[in-house]
Amino acid sequence: MLCIQTSNLTKKYGSSLAVDKIDLEIKSGQVFGFLGPNGAGKSTVIKLLTTLMSPTEGHLTVLGIDAAKSPLEIRKKIGVVLQQPSYEMSLSVENALDKYGMMWDVDKKTRKKRTEELLTSFGLQDIRKKKNDDLSIGQRRRVQVAREFMHDMELLFLDEPTVGLDPSARRELLDFLKKQVQKTGMTIFYTTHVLSEAEYLCDNIAIINKGKILAVDSPNELKNRFGHEKTIKINLTKTSSSLSDLLSDIPDCKVELEPEPIITINSSNSEVVLMNILKILNQNNITINDLSAIPTNLEEIFLKVVSDSNEPDN
Amino acid sequence: MNPIIRLVYRNLTISINPGFIIWQILFPLIYIFVAGFAYTSLIENVPFGNKDLSYPAFLASGMIGFNIMNSTLISGIIIWNDRRNGMFEQIMSGPYTRSDYILSNIVTIGIIGLVSAALIAAVGYPVFFESVEFSIITIPLLIFASVVGAILFGSIASIISTRLRSSEGFNVIINTVFLFFAFASTAFYPAQGAPQPLAIAFYINPLSYLVDIVRAGIFGQMTDFVIMEMIFLIVLASALFVIATKLLTKLDF
Repeated sequence: MLCIQTSNLTKKYGSSLAVDKIDLEIKSGQVFGFLGPNGAGKSTVIKLLTTLMSPTEGHLTVLGIDAAKSPLEIRKKIGVVLQQPSYEMSLSVENALDKYGMMWDVDKKTRKKRTEELLTSFGLQDIRKKKNDDLSIGQRRRVQVAREFMHDMELLFLDEPTVGLDPSARRELLDFLKKQVQKTGMTIFYTTHVLSEAEYLCDNIAIINKGKILAVDSPNELKNRFGHEKTIKINLTKTSSSLSDLLSDIPDCKVELEPEPIITINSSNSEVVLMNILKILNQNNITINDLSAIPTNLEEIFLKVVSDSNEPDN
Repeated sequence: MNPIIRLVYRNLTISINPGFIIWQILFPLIYIFVAGFAYTSLIENVPFGNKDLSYPAFLASGMIGFNIMNSTLISGIIIWNDRRNGMFEQIMSGPYTRSDYILSNIVTIGIIGLVSAALIAAVGYPVFFESVEFSIITIPLLIFASVVGAILFGSIASIISTRLRSSEGFNVIINTVFLFFAFASTAFYPAQGAPQPLAIAFYINPLSYLVDIVRAGIFGQMTDFVIMEMIFLIVLASALFVIATKLLTKLDF
């Protein structure tokens, strides 16, 4: 079942185009990553999908509900953790969770149970009596994310939820989110600038730049599609200063003699390059200490896709 | 539970704290019992309708109107805090409409206005009990003043809170406006004997109309002029409410 469907979704601020004719289809029960550089249009898309804003053009369906006709019906079924902090200054952590549940019409007994569970899951037990005003940025962010799980929802929007979190709190949150998706079958729409997070958490990823979707696929497929250039490093036990001359005719390889002799291959045809280098090394009795292929990561793919889209032709 | 009731409960929970209650009760009490008796030597009796009120009785009844206005400041503070702390956007991304948000603020200030008026009426009663003339219209007039006053001044506070983003600007403007309403009105002193320009300011000030209605209810002095004042307040409160609602509806995220 499709959880989110957009066609020709466009948002203009005056003459500036923030979202440019986006067509998206997101299936239910997955974590969908939405990646893009600053100002790419991620938060605007979230505001459109959560019905906080109306599109200038285009059509949008969330959880099978037409956003133009019944925005309130959509908002009753979703949870939203926005990029900017939001908190009730005068409430303690446990009170903030409870009152937020009350605002979602969750009954008192369920609120009490969920408050305890979330205080534990988000490591907030020690600061449960502290007022929001007295919390650190990371603690406040944890409360903001935890609060959203006080109510039931089918779709959760998380706009950079790990900003301000330390590495262990970040990993705990990601694991908590994974478990929630498995347990409840909910869908998560997730934006982040930490690409290792997206790689760890997301089933599918879209990359957006200048308001346009550049690619949508699973992390592995994105790597297969865009990760043509592989990097291979060859560490040598000994070498001579003539190594650079020996390899000068082979393209896409770089020779470093200090601090230790290393040949780095960075090519879309790396296997052939490697064979040629090995041949030359063998002919010159140069022995290899170590050879390693460096896997392509999502960050490289992201940088490549975004940088290609910034080229003048695009 | 109805969404407006949930928001009202939330508003009351986050707004009412010991500091606010002390301010709401202590401040009028100081005026009634300290200024009221201290100024008696300067202002002996104040004519109101066909009655001569003692100054403490005049001031105590004026403080009811003043407290209704003062309590509506909370509406502006709620909206301003919600915008500053990201809660406005958070609420709007939840199961609420903008109308729910606006109406919940009006109901909140209506409740606070009514409770404040009742509190001051109760504590001020010993001061004005000699002149009190309860009738069938006393309670309806006090409720009218509380509700219409809450909408009127709540809308003004809301308008200010939607236009200003800095805390300094918000505090300066809202305090200046409400100080003008308080001290250029007949809540504290009678208009008679005041210099002409000040007397005019007294009678273009909606707080003067509000305290006239409160006094008419308490001292049984319902006149055609009071009815005109009631109509004027309804029209002004409605117009300001429409403006406040439009501004809130247009707030960007």
